[in-house]
Amino acid sequence: MNRRKSILLFAALPATLAFAQTPTPPRPPDAARAGRGKAVYERYCISCHGEHGDGRGYSAQWLDPRPRDFTRAIFKCRSTPSGTLPVDDDLMRTLDEGLYHTNMPSWQVLGDRQLRDVIEYIKTFSPRWKEEGPGEPIHYVREPADDAASRKKGQQIWNAQACFNCHGQTGKGDGSSVPTLFDDWGFHITPFDFTSSPHRKCGSSDKDLYRTFLTGLNGTPMPSFADTVPPEDAWHLVHFLKTLQVENTSQGIFGISMGQ
Amino acid sequence: MRRTIFLVFLGTVVFCVAFFGMGLFSPVAPAVPAFARKTGLACSSCHEVWPRLNDFGQLFRDRGYRLERDRDAPVEQDGSFWPIAMRTTVGYQWVRQTQVPTDTGPIDTQTGTFGFTGLDVFAAGTLGSHLSFLIVYTPGLAQSGFQTAPSTSDSDLESAFLGIHDIGGTPWLNLRVGKHAPDLPIDEHRTLTLTQGYNVYHFHPQNSTVTWEPGSNQNGIEVYGHSDLSRVRYSFSLVNENDAQFFSNTALSNPVLWGHVQAEQYLDSPLLAAVKLGAFGSVGWHANSTATLTPTGGTPSPVAFTGSNHKNHFRYGGEAHLYFLSVVNPVTLSAVVWGGQDDQAVLKDDTGAPVGVSNATFIGGFLEGVWTINPRLTLLGRYELIHPSQGVDPALVSPVTGNVKVWTAIIRHTFELTSRTEAALHLEFSRFWFDAGDGTSPATYTGLIGLDFAL
Repeated sequence: MNRRKSILLFAALPATLAFAQTPTPPRPPDAARAGRGKAVYERYCISCHGEHGDGRGYSAQWLDPRPRDFTRAIFKCRSTPSGTLPVDDDLMRTLDEGLYHTNMPSWQVLGDRQLRDVIEYIKTFSPRWKEEGPGEPIHYVREPADDAASRKKGQQIWNAQACFNCHGQTGKGDGSSVPTLFDDWGFHITPFDFTSSPHRKCGSSDKDLYRTFLTGLNGTPMPSFADTVPPEDAWHLVHFLKTLQVENTSQGIFGISMGQ
Repeated sequence: MRRTIFLVFLGTVVFCVAFFGMGLFSPVAPAVPAFARKTGLACSSCHEVWPRLNDFGQLFRDRGYRLERDRDAPVEQDGSFWPIAMRTTVGYQWVRQTQVPTDTGPIDTQTGTFGFTGLDVFAAGTLGSHLSFLIVYTPGLAQSGFQTAPSTSDSDLESAFLGIHDIGGTPWLNLRVGKHAPDLPIDEHRTLTLTQGYNVYHFHPQNSTVTWEPGSNQNGIEVYGHSDLSRVRYSFSLVNENDAQFFSNTALSNPVLWGHVQAEQYLDSPLLAAVKLGAFGSVGWHANSTATLTPTGGTPSPVAFTGSNHKNHFRYGGEAHLYFLSVVNPVTLSAVVWGGQDDQAVLKDDTGAPVGVSNATFIGGFLEGVWTINPRLTLLGRYELIHPSQGVDPALVSPVTGNVKVWTAIIRHTFELTSRTEAALHLEFSRFWFDAGDGTSPATYTGLIGLDFAL
C-alpha cells in the first residue's frame, strides 16, 4: 500500500464510520393517525399518563412504578441501543402485552388500528420524535444450547458484571446497591426479582431477556451490556437467569392447575 | 301563567344546552377515590359510557375482574383497597298515563315527584389469582322509588356469585356459581336507560304462569368461556325458574337452560369499525300441577315440593351489533330479534283454570342506536316491539292484549369521570303503550331528569 492510498483510506475511514453510525431519519408522528389516537389516549391512557403525557395523570400518585413520562421519550422496553428512540414495534409490543408487575395492562383487545393510532399520538408529546429517528434494532445471534455448560458460563458473567450488586446473590432483587437506585425522574427503583415470577416487564421469553440485557432499560440504572459482553455470552446469561426462577408450585382450587 | 311556563322552559333549555355542551369540551376532572389503587384506570377504560361495557371492560369481566399482569389477587394489592361501590340516581320524574280505568270511565293521569331509583350496594373483585366474586345488595327502602307509596319491601341480594377462572389453564372454561345475570345480547344491568329496560327480556304471554325472565338475575351455575380477547364468547346457565308457583318433585326444580354465543370481528375500515353477531336461546321445564291437601271444610292447597307435569317453554333469537366510525367512541346500531313459546297448558286464569287454546308464542325485539360522542357525552334511541300470538281463548279471558311498543331516548352527560367515581346528568323520555285488545292503547309517558352517581 503506497502512502497516497494509505492517506485516502485514512481519510475515508471517518466517513465510513459516520455512514455506519448515521441514525435513521426522524419519523415525525403521522398527523391523521395521531388525531385518531388522541381519542384512544383520552379514553384509556389519560388517567395514568396525564393529559399532557407527562406521566402525571390523576391516578399516577398511587402507582408504583410510576406511569411513563412521554415528554422525554425515554422508554425502557426497546430493541434499539441504549439511549435511542424505540421503533414502533417496540411500543406496539408494550401495548400488546402490557407490563407485568405494573398497572399497565395489555391493550391488545383494542385492535391493531387503534394501537397504531395511539402510538402516533404518544409521539406528539416529545420533540425528540421530530429531531431523531429510532435506533437500529439489535441483531439476535444464534442461541447456543441451554445446557449446564452454558448456564455455568452465564453465572460467570453474572459474577463478572456484578449483577448481584443490584439483583442480589440469589436474584431476589435485594442487592446491596438497592438503596442508591433511582430512575431519571428521581423515583426510587427496585431491581427485578428473578425468583418471584416467570413474567418480566419487557417480555417473558428468552429472546426478550436477551434483548433487555443488550439494550438496557433507558431511564433506569439498568445499563446496556452490548459494549462489554459478546452477544453470544448474553445467551449464556439468559440461561443462567432462568435457573433463578423458583418453580411455581401453586395449585388452583380443588388441586386443578389453573395455568398462568 | 303562560309566560312563566315559557320562561321556565327557556331556562331549562339554556341550562341543558350549556351543560351538555360542556361535555364536548371539558377536560377530565381530577379526583381519586380509594378504588384507584386497584387498577388506576379511569371508568372510561372499561365503560364506553358508564355503566355500558366496551370490549376492554367485557374482557376484564370475562377474565374475572383481572388484568392478568400478576397484580390481581388481593394479596398483591395495597392493604387499604376495599372493593365496595354504590350507585343510585336522584332527581325528578314525571309520569303521564292515558286511558286509566276509573268509575267514571277512562281518564288520563299525570304526576311528578322528586325521588331516587333505589340503591345498589355492590362489591366485586378477586378472591385469589383465579377466583372472583360479585355481591349486589339492594336494601329495602321505604319511599324509595318514584311514584311509589311508602314501602316496606324486603331487601334483596340481587346478585351473589363466586367465579372460578381459567380451569385447566384455558379461558374457555370458567364457572360462576350463585345468583348471576344470564349472558344477554345487551346486559340490562348495564343499560343506559333508567325508565325502561329491555321489556322483551321479561315478557310473558298473557296468562302464562311461567315466571322465567332472562333479564333478571338467576340462581344457578354458569359455564362460560372466551377467546383470548373475548372476540368469541359462549355461556350456558343452568338455573331454577325464579318465583315459580311450586317447587318440582325433582332433583332440580323448574330447571331452565340458557345459552348464548357471540362473535365479534374488528374491521380495518374508517366507516364500519366492528361487527358483532350472536345467537341465544333457552329451554325450561315448568311444573304445572301439584299434589293438594284439603283441610276439613277448607279449599285445596298445594303441597310443597310436589310440582309435576312439567311443560316446556322456549326463548330464542339473534342479534347484530354494528360499530360505526370507531371502536373507541362508536356509533353503535344494535338489532335484537327475540321469540318465545309457552306450552298452552301453562296458560291459566286467576283461579288456576286452564285457558289455553294453543301454545302461546311471541316475537319481538328492539333496535337501539347509541352515539358516544366522547366518554362524557352520549345519546341513545331505542324502539322496542313485542307481538304476541293469541294463545288464550278470548271467551275465557278478555281482553286479550296485543302488541307492546316502547321507545326511549336519552342524553347523558358525565361530568365527573375518574378512576372509580362517576356522576352524570341524565335526561330521559320514554313512551310505553300496548294494544289492550278492546280497541284501546293505554300509554305511559315517563320523563326523567336525574343525577346518576356511583362511587
